[in-house]
Amino acid sequence: MKRSIYLPLTAVCIISILVVIFVNQADNVNSSNGKNNNHDQLLQKDWSDILSVAKGKTVHFYMWGGNEFTNRYIDEWVAPRLKEKLDITMNRVPVKDINDTINKLVAEKQAGKTDGSVDMMWINGENFLSAKQNQLLWGSFSSKLPNVQKYVDQDSPSIKYDFGEPTNGLESPWSKAQFVFIYDSSKIKNPPKSASELKDWVKEHPGKFTYPAPPDFTGSAFIRNMLYETTGGADQYLMPVDEQKGLEKKVQPLWTFLNEIEPYLWREGKTYPETVSKLDQLYADGAVWMTMSYDPSHAANGVKNGNFPETTRTFVLEEGTLSNTSYLSIPFNAKNKAAAMATINFMQSPSAQIAKADPEKWGALMAIEPDKLSTQQRNQLEELDKGEATLPTDVLTKHRVPEIPADYVDLLEERWLENVAK
Amino acid sequence: MWLNNKHLLYLLPAVSVVFFLFIGGFIEGFIQSMGYFPAAGEREFSFHYYQKILFSQDFWDSLLLTLRIAFLSSVFAGILGMVVCVCLFFLSLSSKKKHNQFWQKFFQLPMAVPPLVTAFLIVLLLGQSGWISRIFGSFEWVDQINQFPILTNDSFGWGIIIAYTWKEAAFIALMLQPMLSRIHGSWLDVSKVFGCGKWSFFREIMFPLLIPAWTSATFIVFAFTFSAFEVPFLLGVTYPKMLPVLSYSLYTSGGLEARPEALAINVILVFLVILIGLIAYRLSKRWYTNEQGGW
Repeated sequence: MKRSIYLPLTAVCIISILVVIFVNQADNVNSSNGKNNNHDQLLQKDWSDILSVAKGKTVHFYMWGGNEFTNRYIDEWVAPRLKEKLDITMNRVPVKDINDTINKLVAEKQAGKTDGSVDMMWINGENFLSAKQNQLLWGSFSSKLPNVQKYVDQDSPSIKYDFGEPTNGLESPWSKAQFVFIYDSSKIKNPPKSASELKDWVKEHPGKFTYPAPPDFTGSAFIRNMLYETTGGADQYLMPVDEQKGLEKKVQPLWTFLNEIEPYLWREGKTYPETVSKLDQLYADGAVWMTMSYDPSHAANGVKNGNFPETTRTFVLEEGTLSNTSYLSIPFNAKNKAAAMATINFMQSPSAQIAKADPEKWGALMAIEPDKLSTQQRNQLEELDKGEATLPTDVLTKHRVPEIPADYVDLLEERWLENVAK
Repeated sequence: MWLNNKHLLYLLPAVSVVFFLFIGGFIEGFIQSMGYFPAAGEREFSFHYYQKILFSQDFWDSLLLTLRIAFLSSVFAGILGMVVCVCLFFLSLSSKKKHNQFWQKFFQLPMAVPPLVTAFLIVLLLGQSGWISRIFGSFEWVDQINQFPILTNDSFGWGIIIAYTWKEAAFIALMLQPMLSRIHGSWLDVSKVFGCGKWSFFREIMFPLLIPAWTSATFIVFAFTFSAFEVPFLLGVTYPKMLPVLSYSLYTSGGLEARPEALAINVILVFLVILIGLIAYRLSKRWYTNEQGGW
């Protein structure tokens, strides 16, 4: 290199260092000052004032983009009505994993960015925990929403706690889901009803089963469900992780189980599909005979758009499958908080929730209480045709087990890599 | 003064953006990899995370895999790129200009394809339920599509290697183009007078001419593959992962505790690329001074 290059190089280096220091400094100033002043005012305002502030704004809604029906429900049902009724424009931003968005928010917080790019997001579980712990969420807005007051059972444990973590109104319930297995009934006559039956089935049909590698959300749910099955139920895990004694030993049967089936999995367990979408693809190709979903209507949707064979059905285990509530939340630095509140409230309205429960549109379980609906709305709900591949609601309800505290989720994902993937 | 040097002045905007973003980002990443992370309430500096990584089997498995894949794909891309380039050269001597240009553009096509699309193409073509496998199946060359060799998501990394060989060979060919354009067609005639065939023309004239540019182009491919993400993410296996994928999965896994670890991997990646770059620079420099001289 010529000497003449060194001078500008050094200059650029020094400037870069200065900017980095400045940015970190800015963050410190931001976090020490009371930055939430004008936002807290928003929570004091009347609902009509909030709606008028929200008018004409755009909400940037970050959500998992891996389900075509979910995306279509937002784009084709919610967005046009939101525009028409409240004059709010919906900008759906699909992400592979909402954790990417949490990371984005951390970066924005670090850079001291006060008008962030995320107005609302679809979260629950470990994402909520990590967002809450790092103060990435705005404030306790949920109970302020008229539809929450009217239609949500705010005392129910499935609303008050998200994977064991108190929600404190930092997020507002939007949808409920339950883990289901999806299978091809033309190939499998009697689907397994427990982990040990699943093991036998996998051994008899080498290469026809696999599950997404955690931290994929669905893959992670599968191993949690197997944890319950192999170690005797969910109840023992409902206390916080640090109060558990001998957890490693308690969890051991899960790793034994997963390692026992590994040689009989797709590709002999040498690799796992990295996302549930890829597992769905394998199932659609006929390479495997089962897939899974945390959305009970996913199979019916897959049949409807021609991805899955007509003979696709779902099943749950006798001992139950995981169920959870998912939420909408507003980040600390959302630019259009009022618009986000108005949108969330709209998405919790009976019409939006019933449309969401309609398999024609999506088919997800409602987050609001059916008892609180009017007779007409309840009839509407009962008339929905769920499709043959979806299990009846009462079967789902009967076989429902709660999620464990979010701390466990990270721990199990980490241990899975060590104990199974290697 | 350096500003008087016009070339440098023209380069300054590009260089300052690269250095500003690269060095700025690097310093930021380095600080975080030491565990200083005010946004998560961490304010202490330590080498703890580096220690943790250097003692973990995951890291060494990933490093080995990354080196192997980057090495093989840059060598394959290098050879293929060179072959394509030389063939194009001889083609240009014997056929019309128009044809020649068409083939040149045709072989540069892979460069325009984004890595993500390349990865999908490889899955569609070479997966066990992919096109080629199905064609084999329908001609009954294999009994079942499951007998088709596993080329994607395999633990050796063939899928990734094939993807980058295909894509980067075009890049190598492009880098060699200016060198070849200096060779006049008449040289071949002259060499024929001295009893030189096409092969010895290549060996004695073209190869020494191309090799310095070829070395640096191959190194660029190596550095690129070494730190690539999309293709290994889509075509790799769950364990071991290539380093950039390992870093990404640490970065996005659950809480923020693993972030310094992810960034420490990135810092190590940068240092390794710089190290290999220095070696490549030394090698090509020696080539210039000892053998041919700057030409």
